[in-house]
Amino acid sequence: MQEKETTVHQPAEVRILKDGPIMIKGTFAFKDSSGKITKGEQELYICRCGGSSTKPWCDNTHKKIGLAY
Amino acid sequence: MDKTDRKYTNGEITVFWHPKKCIHATTCYRELIEVFNPRKRPWVNMNGASTEEIIRVVKLCPTQALAFKYNKDIDGDKQAGINSGPKETDAEARIMEDGPLVLKGSFILYDIDGKELKHYKMTSLCRCGASNTLPFCDGTHRKIGYTGK
Ligand code: SF4
Ligand code: FES
Ligand code: FES
Repeated sequence: MQEKETTVHQPAEVRILKDGPIMIKGTFAFKDSSGKITKGEQELYICRCGGSSTKPWCDNTHKKIGLAY
Repeated sequence: MDKTDRKYTNGEITVFWHPKKCIHATTCYRELIEVFNPRKRPWVNMNGASTEEIIRVVKLCPTQALAFKYNKDIDGDKQAGINSGPKETDAEARIMEDGPLVLKGSFILYDIDGKELKHYKMTSLCRCGASNTLPFCDGTHRKIGYTGK
């Protein structure tokens, strides 16, 4: 078998959005609480206020709750 | 991850080597010189031992300079049509039920003010909103009885 060499990409970025969700953007593996994995390029918004009704996703409830950080 | 990273395959698994993480602890070649031989080029010979042996030794690497993946998983990514970009990454984001978001591997983490935060091999970010060490989890989710998928 031949040796294969590749170059790899920039690391994925994770941003804590002020008073809002966590944004994860780039190429990474995402594992939900049931263990299901999605790989590849993606952009996700994870609820950080505890109040979303579509967890783990943000549904903008943080505005009502008034998450302050 | 960076462009000095290398990968080697025997058709069944692919071994990844991240030279920047290698501390030359010599574990790999003391265990399996038939595969990991720093005097040879390429230094990893994927035909030198069985897949099981290679996996065993990859797991012994003390620094995560060595990693592996089953090719069927890599092909799985392709079939799902999500390989538009480069694929090799050790970055994993994982939701803990009723708990934090756990980051592992190569991420760059930015705080609310856009400043980069130090992140270690594993970082837990608060999802319940009640941590005293935001944005990190400090275990408060248990006290407040946070529930969340
Ligand atoms: S075991 Fe890991 S750290 Fe040690 S020489 Fe091999 S690759 Fe490098
Ligand atoms: S952070 Fe947006 S709904 Fe919780
Ligand atoms: S999720 Fe652990 S403290 Fe909020």
